[in-house]
Order: sequence, then structure tokens, then C-alpha cells
Amino acid sequence: MSRLSETFEQGAINPMITFQIDNQTVEAKPGWTVLETAKHYGFEIPTLCHHEAVTPSGACRLCMVELREGDWSKLVASCIYPVADGINVFTDTERVRNVRRWILEMLLSECPASKHIQDIAARHGVSRTRFPVENPEEQCMLCGLCTRVCEEVVGLAAISTVDRGIHKKIGAPFLRPSEVCVACGCCVTICPTDAMQSRIDSIRRVSATQLAAKTSW
Amino acid sequence: MQTNTKTGVFICRCGEKIAPFIDLEALAGIVSRDANVAHCEILPYPCLNPGFDRITETISSKKLNRLVIAGCEGRLMLKKFEKTFEPMELLKGQIDMINLRGHIAAGNDLSPEKRAEKGAKLIKAAAAEMAALAPTIQKRTFLDGPVMIIGGGAASWTAAQELARQGLDFMLAPDIGDPEILFEELHRQYPGEWKNYPRMKKIRQEVLQSHRCNMLPAGDLLNLAGITGDYKLTFSMADGNQRVYKAAAIIACLDAGLEPPTEEFGYDGQSVIIQPEFDEYVAEKGIFEDQVVFWVNDYEAGYPEFAQLSALSAWAMAKRVRESYPKSQAVILYNEQMEIPLTGRDRTLSRNLGIFWVPYDKTIRPTIQEGFITVGNLNDHMEYDIPWDLMVLSPERAVSGRTRKTAEILGLSHKHGRFLTGHHAWVRPEQVGREETYLAGSARFPCDLHEALAQGYRAGRKTAELFQKSRGGELFVPRIVCSVDPDKCVGCGLCQELCDCGGIGVEEATGGGLPRVVDPLICTGGGTCAAACPYKALVLQNNTTDQREARAGALASQMGPDEVIALGCAWGGLPAADNAGKKGLFYDPRVHLMSVPCVGQLDPGILARVFLDGSPGLLLLGCNPEECHHSYGVDHAWSRVNLIKKLLTMCGFDRRRIALAHADLNKPEEFVHTVNSFANVVGAIGPIGKTPQNISRLKSMHELVSNNARIRHLLCVTLRQNDETEYKGNQRHALDFDRDFSAALREEFLRTRLLQLLRTEKRPLKLNELSNALMENREQVGEQLWSMVYEGLVHRSHYNHEALFIAG
Repeated sequence: MSRLSETFEQGAINPMITFQIDNQTVEAKPGWTVLETAKHYGFEIPTLCHHEAVTPSGACRLCMVELREGDWSKLVASCIYPVADGINVFTDTERVRNVRRWILEMLLSECPASKHIQDIAARHGVSRTRFPVENPEEQCMLCGLCTRVCEEVVGLAAISTVDRGIHKKIGAPFLRPSEVCVACGCCVTICPTDAMQSRIDSIRRVSATQLAAKTSW
Repeated sequence: MQTNTKTGVFICRCGEKIAPFIDLEALAGIVSRDANVAHCEILPYPCLNPGFDRITETISSKKLNRLVIAGCEGRLMLKKFEKTFEPMELLKGQIDMINLRGHIAAGNDLSPEKRAEKGAKLIKAAAAEMAALAPTIQKRTFLDGPVMIIGGGAASWTAAQELARQGLDFMLAPDIGDPEILFEELHRQYPGEWKNYPRMKKIRQEVLQSHRCNMLPAGDLLNLAGITGDYKLTFSMADGNQRVYKAAAIIACLDAGLEPPTEEFGYDGQSVIIQPEFDEYVAEKGIFEDQVVFWVNDYEAGYPEFAQLSALSAWAMAKRVRESYPKSQAVILYNEQMEIPLTGRDRTLSRNLGIFWVPYDKTIRPTIQEGFITVGNLNDHMEYDIPWDLMVLSPERAVSGRTRKTAEILGLSHKHGRFLTGHHAWVRPEQVGREETYLAGSARFPCDLHEALAQGYRAGRKTAELFQKSRGGELFVPRIVCSVDPDKCVGCGLCQELCDCGGIGVEEATGGGLPRVVDPLICTGGGTCAAACPYKALVLQNNTTDQREARAGALASQMGPDEVIALGCAWGGLPAADNAGKKGLFYDPRVHLMSVPCVGQLDPGILARVFLDGSPGLLLLGCNPEECHHSYGVDHAWSRVNLIKKLLTMCGFDRRRIALAHADLNKPEEFVHTVNSFANVVGAIGPIGKTPQNISRLKSMHELVSNNARIRHLLCVTLRQNDETEYKGNQRHALDFDRDFSAALREEFLRTRLLQLLRTEKRPLKLNELSNALMENREQVGEQLWSMVYEGLVHRSHYNHEALFIAG
């Protein structure tokens, strides 16, 4: 079922949802996320793993916002948090800024070589990390945009995450050139950190037979 | 069919990524004044739910039937728009995207106002293309009829079993012959596979008992005609008659042949044999107390990739030797580079059976002598003699003879190496209706019996899935595929020779002069064939030459005196530009990028149109050589660029105004170099003066390359065909051909200009007047005029003893 008819059907039952972002009243339709609504109304929330072309996954947590109700408040990832009546969203409170700085510090330790992440971190006043840096050359933050675009947009699954935990990385199965890959370059274009640029040459396939010769046994 | 075109343009603000860089209000102002645009609006994010809802409302309220979204990369975003607006009857092809963010907002240091102007040019061109689009209806294919399992390979049985289980009728094609002799023949293709025989027997029984099975008498495949859902296969029978069978789908099960290696290995068929002959040797002579040496000689014979496969066969045979004849010895000799392909359990078994695995020094080639073979020992670097009574060599694997012929008829190309490849489209899955012709067995790539059988199951399952889709009415024909106009097609068959996807065939039988037909489920929509057709009988639906020409023309007419158009292919030039934009690399703002699915689908008419409509230069940005995704489109583009270069020279213009370049998606820096240097070259040459003479020449050039069947035919035969594995450029007498081609071109160009002059003047003209107006040699003009009179293109009359000519 398409997103549109879903929206229609729910919209028929529910009228518009009204809530507040940074004390400003906004209207949304059921099914929208907080991030979408905020972007539509011109509130800027920093994102890394979010791209309009693919379904949001809430991987990087940079888009955290604060939901307040009286004295009580909680932090949510706005890219996957659906809108609801009467919620109070705050995009730039001390608590939000604090958690973003933590996330950026962690990202700086995970992929210290990424220029883009360094820039975002600098904008948030983070220039160094307290966490150990495993690989100073690493650019990939494992946000999974590349694997999502390959699956959802291109319709293939040439790349995926390989291994688990701290060994997790992005690549074609067995880290060999993929026969499935059609070399469309979507993963390179979508990658927020340029990590895919240095990886794609080991993924896009060489000629089919060369590959078969390499992988047949 | 929508006759009334209403295009809506939605411009994305994209937060802070577009809005501050481009004066969007000015841009929207320019765009909304365009005659092709019915509605223009700026949205914060057209690509998120709020934006979708707004666009949906507008589509319904304004009855829009085309969309142009000016935002970011269409490669990433277009699919989401297509999915979302499909229920609104906006099908693929009716939505297009302009990468405002990557190509306009980033990538240059223009002012926001200048950027707005630059962006408006691209959007207006896209709107012009939308106006020229005549969308086709959404077609479906229905499969009805039996499946033909052809080729007689071992995988036939598993494919048949799978089909029987899925409840589909099938025909087992003639090659198989008597199913009783199956096991007597199997070891010739798959040596040492006794362990699979019981399983094969069960499968065969199940298949033969199935009421779905139709066992055909033996015969050779002669011809294949028709398209998916309606195939006609002609067989020549043993009795000399021909029979035609109809099938809805085809599964090819082909096995590679195993032949003795070259003579330096001492093969004699007596005591030095190959693995497929082992069964017969044992049956005839027996082994008893012999020393049997299995030499895995694949490395020495030049096909190391099959060493492990041969080693597994050798292992099965050695096991049988030791188990059946305990007094005999079994030795497996192998090159040290090979890894032993045994599991831990098999290794133990091998040890218990006393089978010797002997690696030898790769630098010392084993020498075979009477009764001994000399090999280099790895440990002490000494050469040892190993005695043998029976030497068993690895076979040489190749597709040959009858199998090869069948494969050729089925269009399973032989492109790389010795084995068959089913066509593997190098495009997004949504671009093709179904996968290639299912091919199973060792002819695809050498494999063991287990693997071949698994491939058979897979082919059967995939075919059954197709039928299931068809039953549910969900087997859609992709929107962008070629179709042939049978009235225009002369049956020259050039398209079929060029087509790489195997989507072009004939309706009936073989022979010349038959109209071609496109299988819409196989066509990848590359359109290189459509651009090549001398008679324009092939049309790439929803992505036609007319559309492309409208867009290129609309863009060209907006070009300033030193601005150029770059046509970037969707796999090379466009992604490189997208990535350059993403990285914020600056390049010459005089370059205006227009995306095309493949540079090979650009009809020469489009290239000529760009100059006719006022662009001083045109750059084609294709993929890297040998990396084209559509039938060597980049090579085809080269030939067409060459044609335009010749014509530009004949018109008196600089031939450097058009160029072909190669772009790699991952090398945006090089893309920047390419476009900058082209912009500088054309900038230095300057514009083409808009004098009546120049315009008339450009018109003739456009007319010639678009409609002159002789030149289009000559061009088409020079295009790289799909069986040419590498474009060497050392074609025989290449220069002679080029001279002949130029001569033909000069002749036809003159004729086109003459005809055009006579048509515009609309009055009888004298030879002198004609040659003066064209500024050409009087005798040459006369010569062409006589022949045109003869052909009836021009009428001649006489007045005062002087000939007068008028267009026919």
C-alpha cells in the first residue's frame, strides 16, 4: 500500500493533528513524523542517517529532540517519532544540545576521518573526542543509508552490513566484488561521509566471468 | 490517453541547501511564464509527507498530468515520487527531476539571480520534454501454455520436477533421447558422481510419471521465434521432418562437454585417460592391483579455476578405486597452489583409505614417462618418480558442437570466455520485465552435478513464479521498452545484431526481410537499437527520440553565445555530476547538464538539433569504455559523434564543437576537468553565427542525419555489435571505409541541401543559381541533380534551352 492512500485513509478518520514545536503551534497529518513536520515549518534539526529517498531508521540519533510535559521530559529521535496531538517538541534545549554533543563525540571516535562529521561537530562546539579512536582513517559511521538505498531505491541488495558489533562494516557479501551490483553509484551519492567513495571500487563488479572464476569454488 | 498536457513544476527549498543559493522566487517567475508549464510552486520539501500531500492536492485541483520536480538527485528520489503518485495516474515517464541542488546551487560561484536563470533553462527544457511525451497505456503480459525444457542437460530433470510440483505443463525437449540411457551418459559430463545416481533415478521417475510431462521425440533445435509467452520452436527430427512446438517459456539446461587435454599430457585413451572415461575403463579392464595416479593437471593445461572441481572428481574416483580394489593404489597429484577441497571428515576418510594426496612444486612441471611421472618435491626440492599403471587426467571443459548451436539459437551469448552467459542485464531490476532466459547446467560455468541440479530447481522455481505473476495479472511490461512499427521495419536485422539484451527477435521462422519484434519483458530499455534504426521503425516508448529532441532543442535555444550543453548518461556523466555537486566542486557555469539514460540512445538527429537550435557546443558524457550498461552505447555514441564531426566540417564549422567524454561516477574531480576543458575549447571558438546560410546548413545537417536512410544505414553497420568483445579500432581497411563513408556523406549532404533549397524557394531554379546559392562546385551539383531527377526527387523542365529544376 502506498504512503498516499495510507495517509488518505487515516486522514479520513482523523482530522489534522495540532501540536507545538519550540512553542510554535503547527499542524500535521497523521502518519507524518516530527522531523518531517519540523522541516516543513522551517525548523532545522541536524541529521546524518536521514535521507528523503529511504525510510528513516533512527540509526545516528543526531536528530534527537526533547518532548516536554510539565516537569517531565524525554528525548526521542525525531526522524522516526510520529506526530501526536498536543505534544510539546523542543529542538534546541540544553538537554538536546548535550546529547548531540555526546553523539558527535562518539561519531568522532568511530569515524574520525570524515570531514562532514567534523564540520557538524565543530558547529556544535565539539572538536575532540574523549573516546578511544580505533582507526584514524575510518570514514564510515555505519548509518546504513547505502544499504537502504540499494534495497529500497535500486531494488537490489548488493551491499549489506558484514559481521556484527564492533566488527560491523559495509560491503558486498564476503567483501568481494558483487555480481549483483549494477554500478549505479546511488550509495556513493547518498553517503553522508564520503566513506562509500573509497569503498565502491571494491564492490562494483568486474566482468561477470572474471567474477565467476574468482568465486565459483 | 491524455491529449491535454498539463505540467506542474515543484521547486524544492531543501532547507538551507537550495534556498539561500538560488533566487527561487525569480526562478519560479521565469518558469511559470513558460508555455509548457501549467503550474509552478515552491515547497519547503516536496519529498516529505507534507510536500506529497500538497502536490497531491495540486494534482487533483489543477488536473496535472506531468510533474517536474526541481530538487536533488533524481537517481535517488525519483522512485519515491513515482511510487507516491502512481495512484494519481502519473506513471513512469510522466515525472522527471532536475538536480537543482547538485547542478545549480552547488558547483559554481554565480549569484543567486544568475543561478535562477541557469536553473530555469533546465526546468524549461524538462517541461518541453514533458509536452512531447505521449504516454502509453500500462501493458501486461500473460503466460499461457507449456514450458519448454530444452538442451537435455542433467538439470532438465530437476527443472521438470519443480515445474511438475508447481502444477505447470512442460515439454522435455528432444535432445534428451531415451531417459533409460541417462545414467550411461551422465559420467561423460559429470564424472565420478555415482553418489547422486539414486537421487537422479528418483527424480526421473517422478518426472516421467507426472501427467504434466510431455516427452518429445529426439531432434535438433533449428529455430526460435516469438516472444515471452508465445514462443515457437522448430526442431528438425531424426526422420528429416520439421516440427514446430509452441511454448510460453523456455528453460535451457545445457552441459559443457569434457574433452581430452592437448597431447603434451600423453593422453592416449588406453593407459592415460581422462576422468569421463574412467567408468568405461573400469567396466572394460578393471583395476585389480594397479597403481592409479590422478593428475589434477588443470594448472598446467591453463584453466586453474577448475582444479578443485577436477580434484573432487578425482577424489570420488580414488575412493572407488580403494574401496572396490583394496590391492590397488590411488595417488592424487596436484599443484601446490590448489587447496584440497575436502571437508575434515573426507580428509579422515581419505587417510583411512590410504589415498595419497601429493602436492608438487609449481615451478617444476611434472614430466610424464612410461610408467613414471617426475614431480618436484616441495620439501627437499628433489625430483621424484611416481610409478603409475593408469594415469587419469583432468578433462578440458568447453561448450561445443550441438550444445553450442542450441545456445546460439536460444540467444545465450558466448560473450566472455568459453562458457555461456545468460543475458545478465546490468541495470536496475525495475527496468526489465523478467530475468534472462533461465540457464542451468555446467555449460553456464563448470560445476558438479549437485550444483547443476540445484540450478535446475532454481530455473523451475523462477519460471513458476513468472506464471504465478501472470495469473495474478501482475506481470507488467516495463514502461520504457522498445517497440517495432511493423509498417516501417524493413527487416534488415541490424537492431538484432546490436541489441545486447537479446530482446529483439523475429515473429516467424528465420530469414531476411522479416519484421523484427521486441520482447518487452527482456528489453532493458537501453534504446541503442532505436537510435540506430535506419528507418526509425524502433521506438523507445515513453522515452522517445522526439521527447529527447524536444528537450535538447529547448535547452539549446536558451544557450548564450559561449554556453554549451553536456549530455550526461545515467551511469557515468550524471552520477559524476551529482557527486561533484555533493562535494561542492566548482565547474564552469557555462556548462548546462542534461541527463539522458544512455548516450547510446541519442539519435544523431538529437545531436544535430542541438546545433540547429543554437547551442555552440555539445559534450556527451558517457561511461568508461567497456562499462556501458546498454549494448555498447558509448561506442555507438562515438560513431554518431564522428558523423556529426564530419558534417560540422562540411558545413564549415569547427569540428571540436562536439565531443565524447567518459566519466566515472566515483571521479567527480575528473568530471570537472572534462567539462571545464570542453567549455574552454568551445568558448575560444565562439558562437555559430546565425546567418541564413549557417541556419540552412544546420537544417540540412539535421534533416540528413534524421531522415536519410542511406547514411543512417551506413552508420548503423559501423556500430559495435554485441559479439565484438573488444573495440580494437584496427578494423580492416578502417581508413578506406572512413573515406568511402565521408564520400557518401558529402554526396548525400549536397543532395539534402539541394532539395531543401528547392523546397524553400518553391520556384524553378537554374543549375547556376543553385550552385551559387550553395557555394558548391557546379559540376558536382549538376551530377547530383541529374540523379535526383532520375530518382524522381526533382522535376526538370526546359525554358529557352536551359534546364530548370523544381522539387518533386
